[in-house]
Amino acid sequence: MRFLPSLPKSLVLVSALAAAGLAQAADIKIGVAAALTGGAAQYGVAIRNGFQLAADEINAQGGVNGNKIQLVVEDEQGKKEEGINVFKKLIFQDKVLMVFGPTLSNSMFAAGPVANGAKTVVFGTSVTASGITDIGPYVFRNSVMESDVLPVTVATATKHYKLKQVAVIYGNDDAFTKSGYDVFKKVLEDQKLPVTTTETYVKGDVDFKAQLTKIKATNPDAVICSCLAEEAANIMLQARGLGIKAPFIGGNGFNSPKLFEISKLAGEGTFVGSPWSNTNPAPANKAFVAAYVKKYNAEPNQFAAQAFDALHVAAAALHEVKLSGDLAADREALKNALPKATINGATGPFKFRAAVTKTGKPGGWDADQKPFIYVVKGGKFTAFEGK
Amino acid sequence: MLEQQLLNALTLGSVYALFALGFTLVFGVLAVINLSHGAVFMVGSYAALAMVSHLNAPLWVAMIGAMVVSGTIGLLVDVLVLKPLRARNAPHLIPMIATIGVGIMLTSAAQGIFGAEVLRFPEEIMPMGDFMVGEVHVRALEIAIVAIAFVLMAVLFTLLKRTQLGRALRAIAESPKAAYLLGINVEGLFHITSFAAAALGGIAGVLIGLNFNAITPFMGQPMLHKGIAVIILGGMGDIRGALIGGLFLGFAEVISKAYLSSQMGDAVAFGLLFLILLVRPSGLFGRKLERKA
Amino acid sequence: MEWFNDFWSTYSTLVFSVGVHALLALSIWLTLSCGLLSLANAAFMGIGAYVAALLTVNLDWSFGTVLLAGGIAPALVALIIGAPVLRLSGVYLAMATLAFGEVVRITVLNLEITGGPEGLNGIPLATEGWHIALILAITVYGLARLRRSKVGRAFEAIKEDEVAARLMGINVDRYKLLAFSLGAFIAGVAGALNAHFTFFISPREYGFENAVDILTMAVLGGTSSLIGPMLGSSILTLLPELLRSLQDFRSLVNGAVLVLVVLFLPKGLWESRRIKAFFKRLKGGQA
Repeated sequence: MRFLPSLPKSLVLVSALAAAGLAQAADIKIGVAAALTGGAAQYGVAIRNGFQLAADEINAQGGVNGNKIQLVVEDEQGKKEEGINVFKKLIFQDKVLMVFGPTLSNSMFAAGPVANGAKTVVFGTSVTASGITDIGPYVFRNSVMESDVLPVTVATATKHYKLKQVAVIYGNDDAFTKSGYDVFKKVLEDQKLPVTTTETYVKGDVDFKAQLTKIKATNPDAVICSCLAEEAANIMLQARGLGIKAPFIGGNGFNSPKLFEISKLAGEGTFVGSPWSNTNPAPANKAFVAAYVKKYNAEPNQFAAQAFDALHVAAAALHEVKLSGDLAADREALKNALPKATINGATGPFKFRAAVTKTGKPGGWDADQKPFIYVVKGGKFTAFEGK
Repeated sequence: MLEQQLLNALTLGSVYALFALGFTLVFGVLAVINLSHGAVFMVGSYAALAMVSHLNAPLWVAMIGAMVVSGTIGLLVDVLVLKPLRARNAPHLIPMIATIGVGIMLTSAAQGIFGAEVLRFPEEIMPMGDFMVGEVHVRALEIAIVAIAFVLMAVLFTLLKRTQLGRALRAIAESPKAAYLLGINVEGLFHITSFAAAALGGIAGVLIGLNFNAITPFMGQPMLHKGIAVIILGGMGDIRGALIGGLFLGFAEVISKAYLSSQMGDAVAFGLLFLILLVRPSGLFGRKLERKA
Repeated sequence: MEWFNDFWSTYSTLVFSVGVHALLALSIWLTLSCGLLSLANAAFMGIGAYVAALLTVNLDWSFGTVLLAGGIAPALVALIIGAPVLRLSGVYLAMATLAFGEVVRITVLNLEITGGPEGLNGIPLATEGWHIALILAITVYGLARLRRSKVGRAFEAIKEDEVAARLMGINVDRYKLLAFSLGAFIAGVAGALNAHFTFFISPREYGFENAVDILTMAVLGGTSSLIGPMLGSSILTLLPELLRSLQDFRSLVNGAVLVLVVLFLPKGLWESRRIKAFFKRLKGGQA
């Protein structure tokens, strides 16, 4: 129990029981809070798989400076109270070095301050909402923000299709799709692209025909869609069913093979900007996809890829940290080392950049990654080579 | 555009009606607000999916299978949960809470078995083909959904109006005690009703699953809310009201999305519902139901 | 003491949640004690949470005033909608309050000031253990006094038989309105407390499921005394934590517990006579 040298016996005993049999002297305990049950489980499970895969890989190669990585995975159910409870359990009881997660931005807004207050690094892999890294200097994320991706996507698509006017549809009761819409709105204003109509739906909706019929009547050149992959696929299918031929432009939520599993060829010509795609031919990504398919017998998605990379980023930082055994000092050392960490992972070259906060106070660290622009051809993401 | 929206509304409305039919049937006969009906609806969807993808059953077999599976769950809920509560004359709030528990169990069981991910029917089994009627884009699937929904509702109406069974059920709906004294097998009919209601919920699940092609463990909850809205609109326990209420809600939703704003669509629906309850507690189309639960 | 500090830093939020849920269960107990099945308490909690959080974040009011405002706002709403809504009875009241809750949720979702679906974040931590303990103690004391007062007896009479109560000269409408608004006040304060230790609130926390959760807590514990709702809320808050090892099937157990309690402990857990009767029935071989 190298992180607990100066604590009273009773506590050591409790912690030892908590870690029963798993902890070895040189383990680095890292917490993962993911939504493994509930509505967000479809992301949380992929995220856990991504972390597990990365941990297995790192440990198989001898760990970090000889220390094995031990993941402590907890289910936060995608609920904010659970997020806080799980964070506290990981930080104060399991005494992990750092925490990954939670899955949803909402939970991060609740749980992030707990970690930041406890001077423990919290590293989000799937939280894209603006304001997350305002929480404080211990907050990191490698989830690329829409505000970095969408301007490029829209500009590329406008040029390619010579767009004159577009329609917009988004989910208005979900933090992710709503903040994506806010960015789209700003981008469209900046790029002076007129909007024919803006339609919304709510989570759980499966019928988008009323909105799409309305969109069809306004005759847009493209449909901009701030939606999650599942909804997007249904929207595409139903749009084609109604005879809408305009191409789609999507946000981060489109980045899942699910999109084409479901929509088949309905999504042809769709423009998507993304930090990751399953067909990105970079060796690091090919290796990741192959290993993931082998281990889980399923296609990885963006959430798994970002989790996978996140642990490699943390490992890269840990390489530079000399663990002292004093938990507080080690956590602080990791926080100082992490901003300098860079990797070339499944999502391409990655580094951090200091967040610009609304208040001007020092914030956390956002991802600094170049988005790839993909166009959908034959039911697959293909890298778009601009003419 | 209007014609297209009307078709959208008809499809949506007939599925709402089919779902609400089972919901209102249980309330009318058993005097229970069955809040597990949404979960039963979801189970129907998964049952059909499992039969299609694992047993390679044709779609119509899967539909019947789904009705049997969800009907059996409805029957089990009645025998294991509602019957004991009836036996001890529990206040009407109690069975409702028990069905909440059942709903939670079914939802988490589905998640445990099938996972939280959205599943879909394989494309090959879907009734394909679409054509244009004037300006309106019609899919064969939509026609099939509306047809199935209306046929099932017609069967139910005929059963209730013309048969001995229907007369007995209506007698129970008026007063179970009187029906019992008349020599009607009240318990048996409660079981039949529970089975039939859940079977209707299950087939509605299959139809929704087909139409929008997305099946999740949580798909029942929004449907349950719509179901509640429908039976309030139509008058609780009123079979015809469920049909009219379902279609009405389908049309109200689609039209408000099309001509007002998709933003406030649901707020309008529930606000309206709230007002209707205040003005006409027995529903917009229902007659006053005096029976104390 | 160090052991305690460690425990507290891990589980304080959980303990806070138990307290807040106890307040919510008591708020619905109050309306139930007057024979009203209202499912609006989650919405009232949400109104309280949003009002309080907005006052703290934008106007920087002191926490005490904020809590008070968090209670008064939903109580006012309850007074306004109460007069028409409370004419309904039984399931119709339940459905109307449920619809009201949806309207509140969707309104919050579409307002600018509430942050819409993204919710309000960056709410400072203000709630401390003793705040919750004190408010809970005052509430329990107040409700216990109320039960034995003229008002409490009037509630009881209305619950047993509304018509008879009216004939006895009890102003039924006014007492119902009192129970409804007072329940809203308690729920609102609970919401305000909750908002100030979770840093973040969003509209999805005050929907139908939450209304049902609150009701379940009260019913599970039993509504024949004040201890019941508090017991029920503690169990339903702690159970998911204790069942952590069950992973995927955790909520399955939750649902099953609910069904079993309703089936075998009809008056809730806190009804010792019932428990004895149940065992007697078991021995009799009927159960």
